[in-house]
Amino acid sequence: MLSPATEVYLDYQSARPVDPRVVGAMQPYFTERFGNPASLHAVGDRATETLERCRADVAAFLGATPEEIIFTSGATEANNLALIGYARRNKRSGGHVVITEVEHISVMNIGKFLEQEGFKVTKVPPDQYGRIKPEKLRARITDDTILVSVGWASNEIGTVQPIDAIAEMLRGTGVTLHVDAVAAQGQLPIDMSAVPVGLLSVSSNDIYGPQGVGALYIRKGIRLAAVNMGGGQERGLRSGTENLAGIVGMAAAARIASKEMSAEAPRLAALRDRAVREVLSAIPDSHLNGHPVERLPNNAHFRFDGIEGESLLLSLRDEGIAVATGSACSSKTLAPSHTLISCGLLHEEAHGSLEITFGRFSEESDVDRLMESLPGVVQRLRRLSPLYRHK
Amino acid sequence: MKSTQYSEKTLEHFRNPRNVGMLEGDDVAVGRVGNPVCGDLMEMYVRVKGDRIDDIKFQTFGCGSAIATSSMITELVMGKTLDEALEVTRADVADALDGLPPVKMHCSNLAADALHDAIKNWRSGTRLEPLSAETIAEAGRGCGAGTTQAAAIQGAEDYAGKGVYTTVADVSELADKRVLVLDKGVASARLALELTGVTPRVVFLTELDALGLPDDLAGEVKRSDVKVLFQSRLLAVRGEGEVEKVLIHDLDEDNDYELFVDAVVLLEN
Repeated sequence: MLSPATEVYLDYQSARPVDPRVVGAMQPYFTERFGNPASLHAVGDRATETLERCRADVAAFLGATPEEIIFTSGATEANNLALIGYARRNKRSGGHVVITEVEHISVMNIGKFLEQEGFKVTKVPPDQYGRIKPEKLRARITDDTILVSVGWASNEIGTVQPIDAIAEMLRGTGVTLHVDAVAAQGQLPIDMSAVPVGLLSVSSNDIYGPQGVGALYIRKGIRLAAVNMGGGQERGLRSGTENLAGIVGMAAAARIASKEMSAEAPRLAALRDRAVREVLSAIPDSHLNGHPVERLPNNAHFRFDGIEGESLLLSLRDEGIAVATGSACSSKTLAPSHTLISCGLLHEEAHGSLEITFGRFSEESDVDRLMESLPGVVQRLRRLSPLYRHK
Repeated sequence: MKSTQYSEKTLEHFRNPRNVGMLEGDDVAVGRVGNPVCGDLMEMYVRVKGDRIDDIKFQTFGCGSAIATSSMITELVMGKTLDEALEVTRADVADALDGLPPVKMHCSNLAADALHDAIKNWRSGTRLEPLSAETIAEAGRGCGAGTTQAAAIQGAEDYAGKGVYTTVADVSELADKRVLVLDKGVASARLALELTGVTPRVVFLTELDALGLPDDLAGEVKRSDVKVLFQSRLLAVRGEGEVEKVLIHDLDEDNDYELFVDAVVLLEN
C-alpha cells in the first residue's frame, strides 16, 4: 500500500487541493461568523457584508463589477444558467445556439438538452490542434443565432482558444458570447473590461478554492431566465441560501490567484515543457495532443501508439502516480474523448491518451518520478499489445 | 451460426421478398447504396406523407442477404416517421431476421444505409438519376477488391474545390491540414508520403487488409507517419461549406464512424 506522502499527483485538472491559506480564511465562517444573508438581524447583516465583499473580490479577479457576478454551486451550474437561462429568456430573438466540438462535457450535454427544448444547436469543429478558427465559427452564424459558447481553454488537451478574436468578431452582431473559463482561470489573464464576453463561467476549485462553489459573470444588460426556483437569492437567478464559507474560500482563492498567477504560470510551463521534452524523446511513437504553443501552462497531453489509456493509468497507479486518460469526466463511459475525436484522431488513438496536469504544489521531483516509471510502463504494455508493431 | 448458413426467416424473406418495385412521383425519395466489394446495389423508394413513410419499395441486386435485409427493412419502417426510420440500424435489421452470418454482416447488410440515404436525399432535396447500364454492369461483376469510385462517395462532387482534391500539383497547399488520401495505388501512396513533409496528419484509407503496393513502397509507408486505415471504405464527405469530416465504413467491424479531416484526396485513376 502506497502512502499518500509518496504519491505523485499529476491530475490537477480533475481536482485541486484547497490552498491552506484559503482553508484558513474559511475556517471562522463555519462557526462564529456563520449566517444567512437573508436574515434581518445583525448576524444576517454581517453575512451580507461578507457575501458582497467576496463578490467584489471575484469581480476584481475577472475585471468585472460586483453586480455582474452571481455565485453558483460550481461551473456546471453556471454553464446551465448561462446557456439554458439565456436561450429561454431570449428565444424570441432566435432559436439557434452555436457551441464547439471541444467543449467540456457539461456544455455538450446542455447543448443536447437545448435541442430537446426545440433549439437548434450547431457545433464548430476545431483544427487538428483543437483550436477553433473564428471564421469557421462565423460561417455557422445565421440570422436565427442568439448565443455562441466557447471554452476559453480545453479542460482535456489544454488548447487555448482565440477568445479575443471570437469576441471581437461577434461584437455588434447581437449574438452573445458565453465562455466557460474554468480550465483557463488562474492560468491566463481574464479581463472582462477588455474583452466583450457576455457570460463567463468560473469555478472555485480550479483556483485552489473549495469544491461546490462557482460563479457566473453576466455582463450588464444581458437578461437570463432562472433555471432553478426558490427564495430568489442572487437577484432571483440562483435561488438557494448562499454557501457563505465556500464563497469566502472562492474569494480568498481569487485574491491569491490574482497576485501569484504571473509567477506561477511560467513555473508550471517550465515543468510541463520538461515533461513534454523528456516523454517525446524517451518513448518512441509518442505524440503530443493539442496545440504545441497555444496551450495551458500546466497541461501536457500525450498519446502512445498501440496501447490503451486505461491500462496505462492503472499501471501508473501501481507506481503511485495519479494521471488521467481521455476526459476525466468521461472515463466512466467507454466512449473515447469527444475532444480528441474532433481533433481528427481515430478511436484507437484517442484511447491511448495520457493527460498530465501540473499545479501549485507540483515539483521537479514529480517529473523525475514520472520519467522513472512511464517509459517502462509503455514498453511493457506494448509488448502485450497486438496493435503495436516495431517499425 | 455457420458463416454460410441463413436463418429460416432470412431464407423466407429471400424467397418471398416484400415490397419489391419502384415508386414514382414528387412525394417519393430515393436512396441508393452500392458496394464494390460484394457487388450489391440497393435502391429504396420511399413515399413520404406528412413526415411519415406512406409506402416503401426496393430494388436490390445482390446475394440472399442483400435481398432479405431490403425486404425486412421495408416491413420495419412502413408507417414510421422519418426520424423513427433513421433510428433503424443494420443491427435491428439483422436481429429482425434472427441474425445474419457474420461474413454477411460486413458486406450484405446495407439496407439501412439505403433507407437513410433516401431520407437524407429527401431532406436535402436531392434527386437521384436512374442508373446507367454501365453502372449496373459494373456492379454486377461480383466480389473483389475494386477501388472506390469518386462518384460513389456521397458529397465528393459537392466539395470539389472546397477540400476535395482530385489532383495535387503542390503539396504545400495542404500544409498543416488533416489530409485523407484514398488508396488509388502507387501514385496515391507516394503522395501520402510526400504530404508527411508538410503536415503531421496524413491518413491513407484502403479497402484492402494489407497494403496493395510494391514491397519497397509498402515498407516506406509503414515506417512513415502515414496512418493507414485498412478495410475501410469512404462513404461520405461532410462539412459546413467545406470539408470538415468524412464518414468511414469499417468493413471488418461493420460499423460507420466519422473522422474529422480538412482535406480529402481522391486522385483520378
